[in-house]
Amino acid sequence: MSHFPDPIREGLRRGWKVHGGTHGALPEKITCDVAIVGSGAGAGITAELLARAGLDVTIVEEGPLKSSADFRQREAEAYPALYQESASRKTEDKAISILQGRCVGGSTTVNWTSSFRTPPSTLGYWQAHFGLQDFSVEALAPYFAQAERRLHIAPWEAAPNENNDLLRRGALALGIPTGSIRRNVKGCWNLGSCGMGCPTNAKQSMLVTTIPTALDRGATLLVQTRAEQFTFAGGKAQSLRCVAVDANGRPRGAGRATTIVARHFVLAGGAINSPAVLLRSQAPDPHQRLGARTFLHPVVMSAAVMAQAVEGWAGAPQSIYTDHYLETQPIDGPIGFKLEAPPLHPVIMATTLPGHGPAQAGLLARFPHTHVLLALLRDGFHDQSPGGRVKLHGDGSAVLDYPLTGFVMEGARRALLAMAELQFAAGARQVLPVHERSRPMGSWAQAQAAIGQLPMKPLLAKVVSAHVMGGCGLGGSEALGVVRPDGVHWQVENLSVHDGSLFPTSVGANPQLSIYGLANRLAQGLVQRLGGQAQALA
Amino acid sequence: MQRRTLLKLGLASGAVLALAGGAAALLRPGLDQGRLTAPARDLFASLGRAMLQGALPAEPAAQESALQGLVERIDAVAQNLPAHVQAELSQLAGLLCTAPGRLALAGLVAGWDEASGDAVRAALDGMRFSGLALRQQAYQALHEIVGGAYFSGESAWAAVGYPGPLAL
Repeated sequence: MSHFPDPIREGLRRGWKVHGGTHGALPEKITCDVAIVGSGAGAGITAELLARAGLDVTIVEEGPLKSSADFRQREAEAYPALYQESASRKTEDKAISILQGRCVGGSTTVNWTSSFRTPPSTLGYWQAHFGLQDFSVEALAPYFAQAERRLHIAPWEAAPNENNDLLRRGALALGIPTGSIRRNVKGCWNLGSCGMGCPTNAKQSMLVTTIPTALDRGATLLVQTRAEQFTFAGGKAQSLRCVAVDANGRPRGAGRATTIVARHFVLAGGAINSPAVLLRSQAPDPHQRLGARTFLHPVVMSAAVMAQAVEGWAGAPQSIYTDHYLETQPIDGPIGFKLEAPPLHPVIMATTLPGHGPAQAGLLARFPHTHVLLALLRDGFHDQSPGGRVKLHGDGSAVLDYPLTGFVMEGARRALLAMAELQFAAGARQVLPVHERSRPMGSWAQAQAAIGQLPMKPLLAKVVSAHVMGGCGLGGSEALGVVRPDGVHWQVENLSVHDGSLFPTSVGANPQLSIYGLANRLAQGLVQRLGGQAQALA
Repeated sequence: MQRRTLLKLGLASGAVLALAGGAAALLRPGLDQGRLTAPARDLFASLGRAMLQGALPAEPAAQESALQGLVERIDAVAQNLPAHVQAELSQLAGLLCTAPGRLALAGLVAGWDEASGDAVRAALDGMRFSGLALRQQAYQALHEIVGGAYFSGESAWAAVGYPGPLAL
């Protein structure tokens, strides 16, 4: 049992207004100034700013309210409790596994703390192609700076763990520049368990920062409550219908419903889920943009066996990166990729490493000496990388149809090559590109030849994602996006979107700080339009 | 949606069954109210024995107990899945528990409880490298469920050198 203070349980004792799940039945009707769907990066920032401005806010979260006392650093507990579909969400053809949070704090509760401002090249592309002239580096800088102060985003001063330092050393040997990743932590214990919920409250997720602030200012939080659909009339959202759900998302209590009536609604349930609410509501979509252009930063991985112990479960999960393969080529040319290292725990390893029986057992036996790199492919900047489309199952649940095009998969091959080369340069004894048709290889020359021959097909090359973006894209005109540059829906005047579904392309970097910065700007504008007291995040 | 997924998987698996010459065996779901049925429990024990060979304890009683633990964890995972994922898992397990489904999807002649580990692994590789997306998807699902459930158990950690999280 952890001896750390638990700010959530303390807040509940102070009388926070929390309903749903184990916190009591949902009210039948709620009337408020602003209802926010979701409690992750965009929702949290928005909730704090609106609540501080004196507005009456209700937050609707489908997942449970878990906190540091619950976070025991065990995959068996964390994945079912804190992730969408028990961390096994898949694209429609099952070729991509998606890690996405589903709990109070959303993905910020389980992410690996990597914090990057939106890259200038990405903003330039949005300005040029999506009519977002006001999205310049300079215009956004103050909003990022506030988010960085609020969430203690700062350089990570401790030494990288070996899994990350191998990325640095391999790149150095090849003459490739690397950088240190900034992290949103305060008093981090360097445990490496970020993906299972921070047990020490060091990670400055929405769970321990903005959501508590909003609740202290009188906001209401509905947990285990799914936003089902809006009712529209006269170009406005009249109400939002929500249902209480069990831990596995099934409607509970015969689908007892809660109706929320608000002056304004903010959709921030994350990409895939936010467009799904609008699809269920049959929201106006005159240009067929809704749910389209959903991006994933498709990830491929390379596993290496080192002579020395790596112990990739220990220490800050991500502290080193290289953008060499993004910055040395045009953004709209062949797909580029960012290289990082992931945290390594038994379930992640066993489900990632290909094969079964004695062959896979042989790979797993070297777990403590295994080093893994991942490549995030920058999707959405080329007409052969249009991303995926969110659709609805017959029961209204969401699914992403994301075809892995040949253009993307050839980028994946280049990424496997780059990672193998780098790992051998760092001293790897063996390298295994994560692919069903691959086997461990003992030299760069051998790997180069073998990777060149791998069939780069879905369901053979292992592809995963932890960054879901787009689907309610920003656009400078009605034909270019679902949402206006101020975050308001082009066809529904009292509905805004403040989450990762806003991005018109992928970000080209881990998206959390991009969401914080964007939501910060949009929410400050919303406060003013609703007549609240002007607020800055920090 | 359940109906739609059934139709979709049903159509594809129906075609597989027809190809294999199987009659339209009435499919009994692999999950009953989110819990593994008895045949599905046997299925996953057999799959675990084959897929985890080399990772499981070698001593027979310890191995049997590890496999029981695996089945319990898969049962727990299944209960927590959303309805549409439960429906897919139920169909997959249900199909594999029928003789025509086992033959068509896995290419396995012998029953799960009598097939050797080598035969099960060969069947799994047949799915893994199949040109048919449905069979590849089925393999990937089994790989994730069995490997994920087994290594989420603390008793599996020592064999792969994972010390467990730092006690706080």
